[in-house]
Amino acid sequence: MSHEEHGHEYVPEIATSRDGKQYEVQGWQGDFYGGKLGFWLFMLTEVMMFGAMFLVLTYYFSLHHDDFIEASSDFNVFLGGTNTVVLLISALTMGLGLLKMKHGDIKGAKLMIYATMILAFAFLAIKGVEWTEDYHEGIFLGLNALQPGHPESKPLGEILFFGMYFTMTGLHGFHIIIGIGLMLWLLKRINAGKVSPHHYILYFNIALYWDLVHLVWVFVFPYFYMIGAGDISGVLNGH
Amino acid sequence: MGTNYDEKYYEDRAKYYKVIVGLLLLTTLTFIQPHMFLTNVTFGVQMTIGLTKAILIVLYYMHLKGETLIGWTVMFALSLVTVFFITIMTDVHHFQFKDMSYITEHGADTNMHHATEKE
Amino acid sequence: MSKSYLDAGETHCAIGHPKSVFWQWMLTVDHKRIGLMYAAVIFTFFFVAVFIGLTMRIELFAPGAQILDGDTFNQAFTLHGVIMIFLFIIPGIPAVFGNIVMPLMIGAKDVSFPRLNWFTFWLYIFGALIALSSLWTGNGFADTGWTFYAPYSLNTNTNVLTTLVAAFVLGMASILTGLNFLVTIHRLRAPGMGFFKMPLFVWGIYATAWIQLLATPVVGITLVLAILEKVFGIGIFDPAKGGDPVLFEHLFWIYSHPAVYLMILPAFGIMSEIIPTFSRREIFGYRTIALSSASIAGIGYLVWGHHLFTSGMSDLAKTIFSFLTFFVAIPTGIKFYDWVATMYKGKIVLDSPMLWALGTMVTFIIGGLTGVTIAMIGSDIHLQDTYYSVAHFHYAILGGVVFLLFAGIHYWFPLMFGKMLNEKRAKLAFWINFIGFNMLWFPMFIAGYQGMPRRYFDYLPEFQIYHQISFFGAVIFISGLLYMFYNFFDSMKNGEPSGTNPWNATTLEWHLPSSPPPLENHTKVPYVDFNPYEYKHGQPVVKFDYETMQRID
Repeated sequence: MSHEEHGHEYVPEIATSRDGKQYEVQGWQGDFYGGKLGFWLFMLTEVMMFGAMFLVLTYYFSLHHDDFIEASSDFNVFLGGTNTVVLLISALTMGLGLLKMKHGDIKGAKLMIYATMILAFAFLAIKGVEWTEDYHEGIFLGLNALQPGHPESKPLGEILFFGMYFTMTGLHGFHIIIGIGLMLWLLKRINAGKVSPHHYILYFNIALYWDLVHLVWVFVFPYFYMIGAGDISGVLNGH
Repeated sequence: MGTNYDEKYYEDRAKYYKVIVGLLLLTTLTFIQPHMFLTNVTFGVQMTIGLTKAILIVLYYMHLKGETLIGWTVMFALSLVTVFFITIMTDVHHFQFKDMSYITEHGADTNMHHATEKE
Repeated sequence: MSKSYLDAGETHCAIGHPKSVFWQWMLTVDHKRIGLMYAAVIFTFFFVAVFIGLTMRIELFAPGAQILDGDTFNQAFTLHGVIMIFLFIIPGIPAVFGNIVMPLMIGAKDVSFPRLNWFTFWLYIFGALIALSSLWTGNGFADTGWTFYAPYSLNTNTNVLTTLVAAFVLGMASILTGLNFLVTIHRLRAPGMGFFKMPLFVWGIYATAWIQLLATPVVGITLVLAILEKVFGIGIFDPAKGGDPVLFEHLFWIYSHPAVYLMILPAFGIMSEIIPTFSRREIFGYRTIALSSASIAGIGYLVWGHHLFTSGMSDLAKTIFSFLTFFVAIPTGIKFYDWVATMYKGKIVLDSPMLWALGTMVTFIIGGLTGVTIAMIGSDIHLQDTYYSVAHFHYAILGGVVFLLFAGIHYWFPLMFGKMLNEKRAKLAFWINFIGFNMLWFPMFIAGYQGMPRRYFDYLPEFQIYHQISFFGAVIFISGLLYMFYNFFDSMKNGEPSGTNPWNATTLEWHLPSSPPPLENHTKVPYVDFNPYEYKHGQPVVKFDYETMQRID
């Protein structure tokens, strides 16, 4: 046998064909491409999940077109827009950090991770402000405006719109929190020498994860904030 | 810390910066479009802008440009989602009980649950 | 005596190097041990659900209440379905034989992510515990049926929430298994083994893994939305808030229909292994069987609407779904024709694995063809939600997937334990099972056709004769199951030593240096320049020197 458990000590086996040619056997250890492939496949599950949520959203947009536009027109585009830019920059910092790590600048890479984390916190803070504002307006999960049969009850389509808004931004925020946790873990692994310019699959995959989180927001933002922006009188079908 | 800032580093970094500029421009478009042009198809335009941003991110930030197998798996998953969309949206567009359903805008029941009600 | 993977100390662990045998099993990352542990757990759950089924049969022996009241009966069929589907058959063949056999078949030392494999097993246990905890908390187990249709599931006060959470966790375990297998099959095949030199069981696992990966998240998010609806009232599937219950059905079945292909594709893979070995000749139509697995997985994503024919879906959608459902039967038919062609002019060896495989052909053909009858919209309007559907899916799942799971156990028993099963007992057990199975389920086709509704606690006296025949069939069937498992346990202890290749088969899992397999699988990874089923005059063509894994034929 010629292999060990840990990535650096693993020596691949050789298989020999009948005419004497030698072929290196791909083991499960030290498989960079396998790590990349595995993580991409995991991200495809997130694509299916958020994809199904967008499907639900579109389904109800179709059934409740005007209510959706009306509800969207109330959204704070400034706050949501700031968040969009914040997340955009954080994707840049994350990518630059990976680049620095690949080229040996471990200190620079760590700085970039810190920068990404700060931006991630900023995103969450702004989201928190938005949700608090909504809460104070009586628009929140479980409150009367989003339940039928009360004087403050919103129209059916708006109830669904806000329900999906809190669900999708909530799940998205949850994924940001997980991302922050992953970045903290990444820093720990870098400090322990387990992530290095020669062995950076973990950093690569976490950067991919962060890009996916950004990708989801790229669609969430216009769907909720922008469809009702501007002058909506032309878009409403009118009764 | 032996940094190895060779040409490749500056090339790759330049790509990141170029893409971010593209993304920022598209984001600006996102903000101004509902007030400026194609306002009767805002939803379609917004989703198209989003799709363009997504393609840039996936190709360059997520390094999909050089990948074959992974590219095919992504296309497979996206086609599935597209099929689900097309099928279900076709079904709901041919909703046979539109006039009687409680949950549609033209359905039966009192109209107290609709937004744009003229008094 | 060389050491086997079952011996103390012969395993790799996720954390540390424990000395005690117990912790060596709890922390093992070895795919063979993990597969065995899955087997132990899923068959325990299987028997629990079988006995719930028997309880339902006892209750339904006569009209009116016998031993259960209506509400408890609803909980019983829900529990039976949830255990059978989420805890037994969906992990099923992939978790057991995908883990134990698949890496051996491709010449790998383990799966691509062994520690993830370990984590996934315990995630599955965690999900199972959550599901079972709902039996003893709150208002008792869910009473919605395993399909959790809205709006009833949103409004009932039984433990739907716990079961939804459990199903989500179990779904995650399924996804991670699929992910692990996909990367393994792409990356760890022995040098020279292109996709079209893989055994067909691996093709089955591969196609299944794609379904596990991409379909499960859809039901995952559906369950999350249902959970959020129950907790926060977001209105998603509740008509009172403008939500649409039919959307729940769409999303639920987008997963649950591909799920049945997830169940049957590995089973067909087992069939494709057994038939050539026990016909002593090369499989007919290797490429078509391989590609049919891929196409069943692909087309299977497009047919979910046939579960919604009576839901109020548009006529256009119904027609398209009906057409596609007919269409997806074609690749399955191709497989059956290929298997029969393999047996033609072969030297059939009627050992117990082959008996089970042949028996499955009979029962699955009935299950599959009755599925085609309800793919027609018109007949489905009459037969939907009757005992006809129940008989159809039990013939297909129990008589298809589970029978082939049993066939796989009989086939790979010597591989797992180094012992042979007692053949006489195994054959007798098969016949008891086969007769009991048909007596249990066939009358239900007739009862359903005559109008007996499913999930009904009470019924009109004209249906009683069918329930009574079914009950006696159930007793015979369960006796067969118990006898078969007694044979498994007895043979594990007292069976004849099998040697490494008792069936004289060709695929790589039978070319290990010792029996049961050593920890590190093959001594050396072979170079694969041969097809998986090369037979000449009834004998395998490829022979190995087991020290060097070089071909000596």
